[in-house]
Amino acid sequence: MASHAKIAQKFARQLFNMSVVDGAVSADRVSGVLQYVEKHNPPNPVMVLKAYRRLITAEVAKSVAVVEHAGAINDAMLAAIAASMTRKYGRVVTATATPNAALLAGLRVQVGDDIYESSVAGQLAALAASV
Amino acid sequence: MLSHLIILAQAATPAVDAAAQNAGGSGITKIFHDFGISWPFLLAQIANFCVVAVILWKFAFKPVLATLDERQRKIADGLRYTDEMKAKLEAVQQESAASAKRAQADATRIIEEARKAAKEFLEKQSQETTAKAGDILAKAEQLIELEKKKMLAEARTEIARLVVETTQRVLSKELSDAERSRYNESAARELTNV
Repeated sequence: MASHAKIAQKFARQLFNMSVVDGAVSADRVSGVLQYVEKHNPPNPVMVLKAYRRLITAEVAKSVAVVEHAGAINDAMLAAIAASMTRKYGRVVTATATPNAALLAGLRVQVGDDIYESSVAGQLAALAASV
Repeated sequence: MLSHLIILAQAATPAVDAAAQNAGGSGITKIFHDFGISWPFLLAQIANFCVVAVILWKFAFKPVLATLDERQRKIADGLRYTDEMKAKLEAVQQESAASAKRAQADATRIIEEARKAAKEFLEKQSQETTAKAGDILAKAEQLIELEKKKMLAEARTEIARLVVETTQRVLSKELSDAERSRYNESAARELTNV
């Protein structure tokens, strides 16, 4: 069972490598991979597809900056944040806004596994932790 | 033998008388004649006496003396044995008295040592008990101090949580949209400089 999972992981990694072009996930390539899997039905297809989806999701998340905000935010801010993240990570990062009233005020930006906190709720939580 | 001697003496007596009378009476013989001492009879008496004396010595005096000596010896032995027993008894009594004295001295010494050991043990136990009580008190004080610090930390945490929660509630109600917007702009500027 463990060996099947390893083989499936390895195959999914190979499919993922084929789906990334210039450091970014290509929708065409992803579509082609899915067609290939559907056509050739490799061993343990469900395991392969689950692993592939996890890799693609993580890679896509690296290219998207989720901007949580409480209060109004305009496109200029989003663009500035996207440009800043693109500069920082060396790849194209797009920003999407998500309202989150729990922040009280300010922003929280998440790019992949990285989180940049600049909100009132975050500062209050840091204050509580420091006490 | 005795009868023969008497017969000889009787036969010799007239001859002696005649000789005395003939000698004309010398002093000693005159005395002997006046006192009626006759030499044959005297010699015979002396001989008889000697024989009797020898016989008595051999068959009477000697055994009696031997018996007396034996008895004397036994009495002496008995007296000597008695003396020895007395001396032994005295020695045993002295030894017994000395042993009793030594035993009493040993008993006194043992009692004294036991008393001393009991006293030392009591002192040691008292010291150990005092030390243990001190340790228990110190540990109790440490526990109380730890509990106090723990309670202070918990109180501090709880107070901080309440302050944060209150601040959140107040800010969520009191912050206006304009203030939020200004804060967001400030946060965006901060994030673009990351």
